[in-house]
Amino acid sequence: MNGIINLLVNGLATGMLIFLLASGLTLIFGLMSVLNFAHGGLFAWGAYGGVWLYAATGSFFVAILGAVVIGMLLGLVLERLVIRPVYGNHIQQILVTLGAMLVLSELLKVVFGPNPLKADVPPLLNGSWEVEGVILIKYRLFIICIGAIVFAGLLFVLKRTKIGLIVRAGVMNPEMVQALGIPIRRVFTLVFMAGAGLAALGGALLAPYSGVIFAEMGMQFAILAFIVVVIGGMGSIQGSAFAALLVGLSGAFMAYYVPELSLAANMLLMVIVLLIKPSGLFGAKG
Amino acid sequence: MSGMRTSKIGTIWFVIFVAGLAALPFINDSRSFLILMTQICIFAVFAMSYDILLGFTGIVSFGHCMFFGIGAYTSGVMLDRLDASIGTLLLSVLVGVLLSALLSYIVGMLSLRLKSHFYAMLTLAFSGLLLVLAEKWRSLTNGNDGFTFPIPSVMKDRTVLYFTALAVMVVMFLLLRRFTQSPVGRVLLAIRENEQRTESLGYEIVHYKVFATVVAGMAASISGSLYVLTLRFVNTTVFGMDMTLNALLMTIIGGVGTLFGAIIGASIIEWAHHGLSELAKFHPIFERWIIFFGLLYIVVVLLFPAGIVGTLRLWWLKRRGRRLEQSLQADSNAIRKEGAG
Repeated sequence: MNGIINLLVNGLATGMLIFLLASGLTLIFGLMSVLNFAHGGLFAWGAYGGVWLYAATGSFFVAILGAVVIGMLLGLVLERLVIRPVYGNHIQQILVTLGAMLVLSELLKVVFGPNPLKADVPPLLNGSWEVEGVILIKYRLFIICIGAIVFAGLLFVLKRTKIGLIVRAGVMNPEMVQALGIPIRRVFTLVFMAGAGLAALGGALLAPYSGVIFAEMGMQFAILAFIVVVIGGMGSIQGSAFAALLVGLSGAFMAYYVPELSLAANMLLMVIVLLIKPSGLFGAKG
Repeated sequence: MSGMRTSKIGTIWFVIFVAGLAALPFINDSRSFLILMTQICIFAVFAMSYDILLGFTGIVSFGHCMFFGIGAYTSGVMLDRLDASIGTLLLSVLVGVLLSALLSYIVGMLSLRLKSHFYAMLTLAFSGLLLVLAEKWRSLTNGNDGFTFPIPSVMKDRTVLYFTALAVMVVMFLLLRRFTQSPVGRVLLAIRENEQRTESLGYEIVHYKVFATVVAGMAASISGSLYVLTLRFVNTTVFGMDMTLNALLMTIIGGVGTLFGAIIGASIIEWAHHGLSELAKFHPIFERWIIFFGLLYIVVVLLFPAGIVGTLRLWWLKRRGRRLEQSLQADSNAIRKEGAG
């Protein structure tokens, strides 16, 4: 029983981290039909930024906040310099965002050195609770809480606020939104920054969870996020939340029982979804 | 008429180019130079195979290394387990090609019905899977450490190896060029230019796209086999993202949709890699040489999407066009004068 609950918590925590990455991807894709292959780079920058700020300031809260700001600023630069010139050209977009990914992860090595860095759990969240013989690690529960809050917040913003209305309308028909006098390009930038911030948040939260960070981890998590986006359906927040938890859980359980097949299981899931419902479980457009 | 003339001139230039490459070992027979040139030929094949996808069909793959790696591991394993003869080598190349064809068919069928993003994501994920597979299947691959293996004794001579690589490059160039000029190749170009229109003309575009990915996968597998033959060693780096990035950089910087651009791109990247690694002695920033290429790559994609060869060709065509225009202008002026007179 203890083992299963632990795996459940592990899976949910990993799933939430993947969700933070995938939600930005799916939002950006839904609104601007840009698939951002640099998203993993932003994630890794969030992780490094968080670790660095935590070491510098000693406050975990500042570290997380700082990482999100770093992510958003990088997102702003990316959108302005690299992605804006190629709106509408899918092939150029895909190519250029991968180039940005390359530069981002190499820059990490230039700034922080090529060796992996150690990341500590803040003392407040260190350790575990024991509830009726079941050991619950605090930090993992913390990640799950943050993930749930972000999910609720995203849904609230999208469904209940003016800006959410504009974003949802933009997903359906950007030209029409622009014709109604709303500066859609500015909304693009905003959403891109928000997505980048979420990715950086995911990275910053992951660092103490995995204990060690390295530049290539961006790509590893990005692959999982892509799988999630395909399974959940491009452009759907609920879809990526569901698929991220699914992928996180299947990853955790497979890693425990048959570690060799962990990634393969997720790939299999994706292949099945592609065969049966190519637009994804919650997706409308294919 | 003029098209035929230019293609004839092109053929002459190509023959001179190949003859020059073939003469290289007699001019400079230093070991490191020959190794570098061999690598260039091999990566040129890899980049050309990528060009079939990106340049001629308009498909973006982020996992092209998987076919390279399949070729590499197939040759490595078979030369190691069976005997190190030419026959085994050829057989291993064939097996690698078949495996790659099968895998590219599966991946293509899964994702090419959908938007171009899906193929890029799916290939990325599949190459990630193969990398994990190569790491975990230790009894076959010896994991991350890789393994050395014997090669046919003829191939141990660096010059022979260079000529083999050069011959493969030339043959692959001619074959792939023939493929792009075939009726199927023409349909692929049409898909690149306007997918909806090609579809409405009655072509089953998915089949053509899958066909293109299978051809590209087979060609990449051959380059992978050759690659490990030069190293006499194979490990998981052949499935790494860096390999795919190599193909991307070479094709994009050299010029997409030209095949020859892939050769130029491979030369530039390999030379620069070699040179910049040397420079790392002076300043550690050069250890991160890939960052320069990342920036260069972004600039090329944004500003010169046709790459070096494509941009030169455009410039040449424009110049010829202007000359043609001038002569037409002169003609019409003359006619007008005649009319006035």
